[in-house]
Amino acid sequence: MTLSILIWLPLAISLLVSQVPRAAVGRATAVGSLVTLGIAISFLARFKLSHIGLQFLTNREWIPALGIHYKLGLDGLNIALVVLTTALFSAALVWASFREWDRPRVFYFHFGLAQTAVLGAFCAQDLALFVAFFDVMLIPFYFLTGMWGTGDRVRATTKLVIYTLVGSFFMLVAAIATGVLASEQHGTPLTFALSALQALPLSKTSQEWIFLGFAVAFLVKMPLVPFHGWLADGYKSMPIPAVAVFSAILSKVAAYGFLRIVLPLFPYASVHFQTLMLVIALVSILWATAIAFTTPEARLVVAYSSVAQLGFITLGIFSLRPEGAQGALLQMVNHGLVTLPMFLIVAALAARAGGSEKLRDMGGIAFRAPVLATLFLIVTFATLAMPGSSNFVGEFMILLGLFKAKLVLALIASAGVVGAAVYALRLFIQSMHNRVGPRVSSREIGLPEAAAIVPIVGVILVLAFYPQFGLRRSERAVRAALAPAQLQQAASLTASRTP
Amino acid sequence: MSPTTFGWLILLFPLLGTALIGLSSRRLGGRAAGWIGTGAIALSFACAIGALIALLGRSEAHRELGSTLWNYDSTVGVDASLSILLDPLSVFMALIVSGVSMLIHVYSVAYMDSDRGYSRYFAYLNFFVFSMLLLVLAGNFLLLIVGWAFVGAASYMLISFWYRRKTATRAGMKAFVINVLGDVGLVFGTFFIFRHTGTLDLLGTFRDVPHVFTHNQGDLVAGCLLLLVGAFAKSAQVPLHTWLPDAMEGPTPVSALIHAATMVTAGVYLIARMHPLFEQAPAAADVGAIVGGATLLIAATIAIVVTDLKRVIAYSTMSQIGYMIMGVSVGAYSAALFHLMTHSFFKALLFMAAGSIISAMGGEQSLDRMGGFRRALPFTFICFIIGGLALSGMPPFSGWLSKDDIIAFLDHRGGAFEVLGIIGYLGALLTGIYTFRMIFRAFFGKPCEQARELEQGHPFHAEVPRNPQTGEEEDTDVGFPGPDHHIAERDWPMKVPMAALAVLAVVGGVLQIPGVDDSIARFLAPTFADSHLVRDVPSTSADWLGLAVGAAIAITGIAIAYRIWIVKPGTSTKLRERFAPVYTVLVNKWYFDELIDFLVVRPAQWSGRFADSVLERVVIAGGVTGSVTGIVRAGSAAVRRAQTGFVRYYAALVVVGISGVALYFLISSSG
Amino acid sequence: MTGLSAYSTLAAVSHQLKGPHIDWPAFSPLIALSVGALLVLLVGLLSGVVARERVVPMLTIGSLLVTMGFEIARFHDHTSIISGALEIDDLALTLDLIFAVAAIAAVVLSLRARAPREAGHGEYHSLLLFSVLGMAVLVSAQNLVTLFVGFELLSIPLYVLCAAEAHREGSLESGLKYLVIGSVGSATLAYGLALIYGATGSTDFAGIANAVSVGKLAGGVLGDPMLLTGIALVIVGFAFKASVAPFHQWTPDVYEGAPTPITAFMATATKAAALGVFLRFFDVAVIGAQNKWAPALATLATITILVGNVGALGQSSLKRMLGYSGVAQAGYMLGGVVVGSQLGVQATVLYLAVYLAMNIAAFAVIIAQEDDRPDGDDISALAGLGARRPWLAWPLTIAMLSLAGIPGTVGFIGKFQLIHALINGDYTWLAVVVVIGSMISLGYYLRVVAVIWMSAPAPAPARAPAGPAGPGGGVLAPIAGGSAEVDDSGRWPGSASSVPYGEVAFVALLFAAASILFGIFPSPLFHFAAHAGQAITGIF
Repeated sequence: MTLSILIWLPLAISLLVSQVPRAAVGRATAVGSLVTLGIAISFLARFKLSHIGLQFLTNREWIPALGIHYKLGLDGLNIALVVLTTALFSAALVWASFREWDRPRVFYFHFGLAQTAVLGAFCAQDLALFVAFFDVMLIPFYFLTGMWGTGDRVRATTKLVIYTLVGSFFMLVAAIATGVLASEQHGTPLTFALSALQALPLSKTSQEWIFLGFAVAFLVKMPLVPFHGWLADGYKSMPIPAVAVFSAILSKVAAYGFLRIVLPLFPYASVHFQTLMLVIALVSILWATAIAFTTPEARLVVAYSSVAQLGFITLGIFSLRPEGAQGALLQMVNHGLVTLPMFLIVAALAARAGGSEKLRDMGGIAFRAPVLATLFLIVTFATLAMPGSSNFVGEFMILLGLFKAKLVLALIASAGVVGAAVYALRLFIQSMHNRVGPRVSSREIGLPEAAAIVPIVGVILVLAFYPQFGLRRSERAVRAALAPAQLQQAASLTASRTP
Repeated sequence: MSPTTFGWLILLFPLLGTALIGLSSRRLGGRAAGWIGTGAIALSFACAIGALIALLGRSEAHRELGSTLWNYDSTVGVDASLSILLDPLSVFMALIVSGVSMLIHVYSVAYMDSDRGYSRYFAYLNFFVFSMLLLVLAGNFLLLIVGWAFVGAASYMLISFWYRRKTATRAGMKAFVINVLGDVGLVFGTFFIFRHTGTLDLLGTFRDVPHVFTHNQGDLVAGCLLLLVGAFAKSAQVPLHTWLPDAMEGPTPVSALIHAATMVTAGVYLIARMHPLFEQAPAAADVGAIVGGATLLIAATIAIVVTDLKRVIAYSTMSQIGYMIMGVSVGAYSAALFHLMTHSFFKALLFMAAGSIISAMGGEQSLDRMGGFRRALPFTFICFIIGGLALSGMPPFSGWLSKDDIIAFLDHRGGAFEVLGIIGYLGALLTGIYTFRMIFRAFFGKPCEQARELEQGHPFHAEVPRNPQTGEEEDTDVGFPGPDHHIAERDWPMKVPMAALAVLAVVGGVLQIPGVDDSIARFLAPTFADSHLVRDVPSTSADWLGLAVGAAIAITGIAIAYRIWIVKPGTSTKLRERFAPVYTVLVNKWYFDELIDFLVVRPAQWSGRFADSVLERVVIAGGVTGSVTGIVRAGSAAVRRAQTGFVRYYAALVVVGISGVALYFLISSSG
Repeated sequence: MTGLSAYSTLAAVSHQLKGPHIDWPAFSPLIALSVGALLVLLVGLLSGVVARERVVPMLTIGSLLVTMGFEIARFHDHTSIISGALEIDDLALTLDLIFAVAAIAAVVLSLRARAPREAGHGEYHSLLLFSVLGMAVLVSAQNLVTLFVGFELLSIPLYVLCAAEAHREGSLESGLKYLVIGSVGSATLAYGLALIYGATGSTDFAGIANAVSVGKLAGGVLGDPMLLTGIALVIVGFAFKASVAPFHQWTPDVYEGAPTPITAFMATATKAAALGVFLRFFDVAVIGAQNKWAPALATLATITILVGNVGALGQSSLKRMLGYSGVAQAGYMLGGVVVGSQLGVQATVLYLAVYLAMNIAAFAVIIAQEDDRPDGDDISALAGLGARRPWLAWPLTIAMLSLAGIPGTVGFIGKFQLIHALINGDYTWLAVVVVIGSMISLGYYLRVVAVIWMSAPAPAPARAPAGPAGPGGGVLAPIAGGSAEVDDSGRWPGSASSVPYGEVAFVALLFAAASILFGIFPSPLFHFAAHAGQAITGIF
């Protein structure tokens, strides 16, 4: 079974279900997403630890004229993320399938398209292909937000899309330049296959501006300060399943892009801009944490907390050390696993607080909902990277890597760890504890909510006992991805030693 | 069975208890949850004893065993597996923790009865015991940190157990955040050490320390100091102590278990556990000793003026832990751990007794309203007296032997440590005073009406339950102290553990009597075999001298208290007026809360508001997004203004265009 | 009559060259066109309604198909006819195909339109054919004279066609405007050509190229202001046709006024012709002077991209908006000329084909809208279209996304290849300008999509708020509460019954489908464009 099936299945399903009666569309899509998940797991099961390089390779010419290939493959870097994607999409779709959406066929079509694009971006082993999927990924969310969103949704969605596409277009130029310049500087035929490009390192000057092109695209998508202008409005107006998936998965594609593309292809620039990236990440952590302290919107607490988390992930990646990168990769999975339920829980809270997502309208919700409270508490502890959670292991590795790379920055970053405790608990206490809010009617979590949240929380718990599960698969690939940059570092070090 | 098997079982039972109670909470009626929880802890206590026996069955040299279940986080050079370490120290701690926990569980079975969160309470409590045992049994740094943070979480959940009280949730938040600060300290301390040793395994680290670290090497000192941050945060040492008094918001048994007997002593355990590191970095160790000394004095002074019964005991806990921290920092390991044990006995006892009084007062905790419970609560009275005597170091009670052992060691080390020794004695004096201030004010004098009611045989019940701190009316549902109250005199599950602890508080000292018996030191010897401090101990005579002095001081303290509150009742107010400034400082707890609020809390909140209002709105929305869109809009406006629709204007522009292009070419032709 | 003039000119040319050998098969497409035009004109004279309203369009389409047939037949053999006056090579043929397709689309779209009925079917359609003929001549011109002839032959019919709806002021106005400005353009061009002839002493491209390159060696002619002024004026002349800023201003007005099918035809075919001749002239005739004209063109391209894109923001009329977007796209394509490489030619041709697909789809929808309601050209009139008429909503959406250059659509492929060519020709900065332009363009393309899907139907002709809507330009027709709940998505993906004008919707869907299909499998497009690229041999 090839990866193509896995990638295109969601889209196919979403087109098929447009034929079933309206009422059943949601269910059908949910079931279909579970099938996709099953296929993804089958890949995980068949994944060979010993194998070096890509597995399940698909490689066809797509645009011969440009040397662009339809090349897909899995390795330690993306196997976990692919499974994560299918799992979280299933959760979101299951959650959605219990609710009424007008024009359900269009609604689920966009979800299918989104999942296909995300999976494509994760599996793509050709630069042009990646760029294509990366941009397509966004379009469904434009419609999802604009058509099923709340509040000033059109304005928000336009802002979101333009912000993100602006980044993507810079990346487009950068990507094309990578291929063209590589072929020019080495006199080889034009190609965009990552494996081939890795063998054709670019000149330092080209690397520098190309790096920036990619960095902008990824930083906007994550987003990190100061590229996060779309965040607040966008997240506020997205429908819950969309925002859950968006913040849980799409942000990861950007982080993954750094590991998959930027570090291997532009080692010189990665080292050259290391400090810049670290500082951006650090600022984002502090900035987002500070806002999460005070923002009155439950949803925005989660939103900004994920900005901070992505700051940590970026720190890990640009520590340019295996510990950091390993931690970052693990943390991508962890963050996805906690963010999605977080958003679903926020929805559950709002449902109990008279539809308001404002913290001041909540409070005391725990008293008739011990199960909800427990799930929420677990997710909260995971979010603040409580030791014993897999998130802690991720954070531990990230900080360790950063500690070895840049001690001072690591110490500053620790402020973010403490801050996380504050805002995560603030969210929990102000919604579940204290006096009962004015319009609060506490009731136990129901099947429509539990069906999506409980399995994910289960996964969180399992990973908490056995984070090694993810780490051992990715180690080899991570080392490979970092190797060029580390060589570069070593070279520059020796150069500086011998003036 | 091998000791490690016991070790895993010790951990297993509380965890099972938590899961069982948590999952079946709906179906458990009456006191079932309580007894399940107690049973789980009893089993794990039994396993601890089993481990002890199994360990004693082995030769001295082979009493340090590790055991691994599976790889937890071992990749790219990091080697953290799910492993425990069984040696005398960890078994010693496990015994105390599981033992005292068991008793307090029994106490809680009755005390928490009729609370709407009954089964939740025991789920939490079992989870705490699991975490604490994980902490003491952990075989590598990562797992140690996990246990460390788990106890913090458990403490948070239990402090804000009555979550309808804003005071409780705020206290819980405070405790948790300060504990997280400690965790971070621990993590970075680990990094500093791991950077050189390259292993997270405890035994491995200790093996490497002498080879990889030079004496007082910078990184080692930094690492140890960061470890101390963790220790201070957990053990409520200055300046990270402010959470402990607030933690008294939790149910009284919780204060007894977590905030007196077990969790707060984790810092002591940590330093003892890491002694190979600290002995290599004396600079850091001295810091520990000094902070311990400072804490014991500061806490004691505050305890004299605080009027909330539980908070007095809380401050006394801080001060007692100050002794222990001081002790382990200067190498008096067995003495400090001995004091840790005895303290857990008599302090738990005091809290239980206090709980009984508070119940009798109908939830009221202020000493000002208490009085004359001597006849109303005879059993509680006796227990409290015993605990008090032990605490203030009255011979022959356990506290006397253990505390003065530490001080004797300090004097023996000599030099600057003498100062600490003197501080220790000063603290002892204050201890005597504040302890008996409590006793005299609560049990003596003219009975308050609750006491009189109780003597008539019907316990007091407030018609509207109120929050003792704020006085606001409770919102009565889950998450508030149950409607009816339980006193030791009427509930045997409360009576039995108190009696047991009372006995231990009296006789607990026999384990370590200078010149007579040093079983604790001997038992712990294998753990501290590699220590060079543990060898040179004060001579028996010096020890006895110290004990004598200690006894004298204790008696003096009690005498002073007796004079102030019994002989001349008005004295306290007179003193208060005489030393008004001092009093204000003390009653405001040396302004630590205000200081932290000013230095940390306010800036954090301010930065949050600033980031939200200024950075987000102005810089990003306005500066970045706004300016760009602004430019584009301006451009489009300009273009559309040029688009008049009149051909003549177009012609004009065309002319301009043509001349422009032509001009360019002409210029380039000349160039 | 124009046709005749064209013929006479051709005859004259051929006569003056004392009866040169004419390769008739190569000539066949042009002949097919002219014959078709004349036939249509004649049939148009018949009285029968059927003859006029059915046969004429069929005949037109027929002759166009025949032409295409000949063109495809001629592919790969590259001949210069009439003693080098015309070059029938793959570049010409590919462009001819584009013209033909555009024309066929125009015919289909105008089947029930007002314009032919008012102007007379015969005239209308034959003018269309003549204009196509003009384009064909223009893009295969190898000689200043034929170039100018083609230029005029293409322009004059269009002036008339713009004014075809004789009873509508807007139409007349646009026709007049186009005429006035167009003639200014032609005049400028004529001057330019004359000067170049003066400077190089030759009228055919080969000669000019030779003179220029020789001059380059000698350092003489290149420095010659006469040549350069000539080039400058030629640029301006072409710029008018290609609506390159600052010579673009007629575009929005004319596009808005002209009958929409004609607008569609102009937007696609004329643009193709203009850029075709750009390629011909600059990559063949004066390639030697590239270092002189390339910077100028690059500057013009930049201005065009910026002006076009910001101008399109906040337009309330779809056709005006597409006019501006057309300006911007012309700017992009000019990039392909600037680099003066085969890759550049390929990129331009590719983009022209792509551009054809997306624009025809968009205009088809506009026509359907205009049939539907008086304010059909209004963006705000699209409100709730997604719910009302999915068959129209999807094509327009796809067209917009494609124009914005979203992957999975041909627009992306076109941009990709353009940027590729630019970077390859060391014009990376221009590539960056192109993407910056695309970023701005999101502001108005997405706005249309937003109105289609995300705002409740506006029953009364509600005008979009005046004033620009920059990025974040969601400020549009009043948005009622939730998304368009009033829809009956039971009809999704719709049924033909919801579409009154079947063939219009068909065209829309066809080209939208093409935009997606070739967006995902673009290889055919690349083959198509590759030939065109290799046609010009002087460059690499």
